[in-house]
Amino acid sequence: MPVEHSQPILSVKGVSKRFGGLMAVSEVGFDVAKGEILAIIGPNGAGKTTLFGLISGFIRPDMGSVRLKGHEIVGMAPHKIVRMGLTRSFQIVQVFADMTVLEAVTAAALVRKPMREAVRKAEEVLERIGLSAIRNESPASLSLQDKKMLEVAKCVATDPELILLDEVMAGLTLAEAELPLAIIRDLRDSGITFVMVEHVMPIVMKTADRLLVLNFGQKIADAPPAEILSNQAVRDAYFGEEMPHA
Amino acid sequence: MKPEFFTLLRSPAIWLVLAFAATMPLWLPPYYLGIGVLTLIYIAMALSWNIVGGLGGQISLAHSLFLGVGAVFTSALLLKFGINMWVGMLISAALAAIMGVGIAWVDFRFKLGHLSFALITLAFAEIGELVVLGWDFLGGASGLYLPSDKGDLLAFQFGGAKGYFWLALVIAAGCFLVNFAIINSPLGYYLRAIRDNENAAQAVGVALLRNKAIAMAISAALTAIIGTAYARYVAFVDPYLFASPAVVIEVVLIATIGGLGTPFGPMVAALLLVPFGELIRGNFGGVAPGLHYLVYGVLIVVVILSMPRGLVPRIMDVMARRRAS
Ligand SMILES: Nc1ncnc2c1ncn2[C@@H]1O[C@H](COP(=O)(O)OP(=O)(O)O)[C@@H](O)[C@H]1O
Ligand SMILES: [Mg+2]
Repeated sequence: MPVEHSQPILSVKGVSKRFGGLMAVSEVGFDVAKGEILAIIGPNGAGKTTLFGLISGFIRPDMGSVRLKGHEIVGMAPHKIVRMGLTRSFQIVQVFADMTVLEAVTAAALVRKPMREAVRKAEEVLERIGLSAIRNESPASLSLQDKKMLEVAKCVATDPELILLDEVMAGLTLAEAELPLAIIRDLRDSGITFVMVEHVMPIVMKTADRLLVLNFGQKIADAPPAEILSNQAVRDAYFGEEMPHA
Repeated sequence: MKPEFFTLLRSPAIWLVLAFAATMPLWLPPYYLGIGVLTLIYIAMALSWNIVGGLGGQISLAHSLFLGVGAVFTSALLLKFGINMWVGMLISAALAAIMGVGIAWVDFRFKLGHLSFALITLAFAEIGELVVLGWDFLGGASGLYLPSDKGDLLAFQFGGAKGYFWLALVIAAGCFLVNFAIINSPLGYYLRAIRDNENAAQAVGVALLRNKAIAMAISAALTAIIGTAYARYVAFVDPYLFASPAVVIEVVLIATIGGLGTPFGPMVAALLLVPFGELIRGNFGGVAPGLHYLVYGVLIVVVILSMPRGLVPRIMDVMARRRAS
């Protein structure tokens, strides 16, 4: 596992967000090492998507600090955070309805490249993610799975160092998840760090280097997958009585 | 810039159409030449509005402010301070661009939705009209009369309808080129991304305010230039024409009927509807004034119900399907 012991690429400290009377995220803190795949799990409504919003600049935290490569990014606009190397996908896929797949990915590549190079870069990324065949389709006409891979492609096209993926494999069987997983591992091997929210436990167990468990907005565990399975608090909160088939 | 832009510049069809249009003042009877000038002015207005309304997807009704600045303010500068209209036009274009940036900022700061944006820009337009009507410097309710046109180009005088036809042709072609350049450049991608989905746009690094402000500034400056040309053409700066949102609403209707997004929709719709409207007005204006508005109204209902993306995108779809089958 290529985990460096230098400065973490992402460092979240004491981050909180309240929606009215609800503490959606409550004093959550964790570090992500470069090259790591960190999975965040937790029941529905645990605050995972909100946490992604807080890190990526879409939601301003009430308290706490988020550092990307040592720089405080709380209060920065999302597009500036993207320029610094952090990008995210959305759980509810957000397509550019009036653009083709290639155009959508080109728009993302433009963040770092001039026009013609961006088109070339977008073509490369689509090739790599396996979407080349549908490059001229409208994103709206794609299957849910292709839409989710398009989300990944848009992220990758921005040349990020860290990608936050929000349930890109939700609804897939383990067999169907093989391909996206292989792509993610390949991207990790090329130097991209991942934080992913995933529900399907076997996928998480197979892929993640570390698991962070959220429940009612609070971090209740942060450990390698094997340890998480034996953690009583996690069992109680998340798995109930039933153990996942890892 | 994508290569498509240069492909267009090199395509003979574009130059043939332009060359043909440029001969029209030589053989069109004066009445029709007048309609031609008006059509070109509307094409230009629809195209410059399309940058914000079509590419950016923001229904701005504040464009009457920009048209008004170009027409009324430039004329006031000439009449009250003797400032040459060429210079005045540039000052007005810059002023309009600044106002456009201000409106983009308000939109960003208060996170206006589509409806609020349309309503607030309409409110700005109404305020602008009140300012013009109430301020003598800008001519008030009685308007401003420009000095007679002696064909002195240095004084922004283009002689008769012929000269204004060529001027309007140059401006309309310029607006088309700007549209096409934007579509094939990063700004066009950013605007379309923002129009389709602001969150997703930001997540791939697109700055909302910056790009909306740039689009507004370009669109506003072009509209102001059109305002100056239009005012000089009609020589009487009527506040109820140049400072009222009515013209812009007409432009929005025309552009929407044609289909927003590409420059072709607004252009083709203006090319068809303005002469049609003028002919109706010329022939039935006495018995049924405002009939052409009724026609626009009916058309917009028909188009929105039967081809929501507009006339030109629909025609292109049909042609693509023909070719495929
Ligand atoms: N914008 C919002 N306004 C109010 N409540 C919200 C908002 N976003 C999320 N919530 C609430 O915060 C909690 C956490 O939601 P979320 O982060 O989406 O959870 P998860 O992704 O873990 O399922 C939920 O109870 C949700 O209803
Ligand atoms: Mg979620």
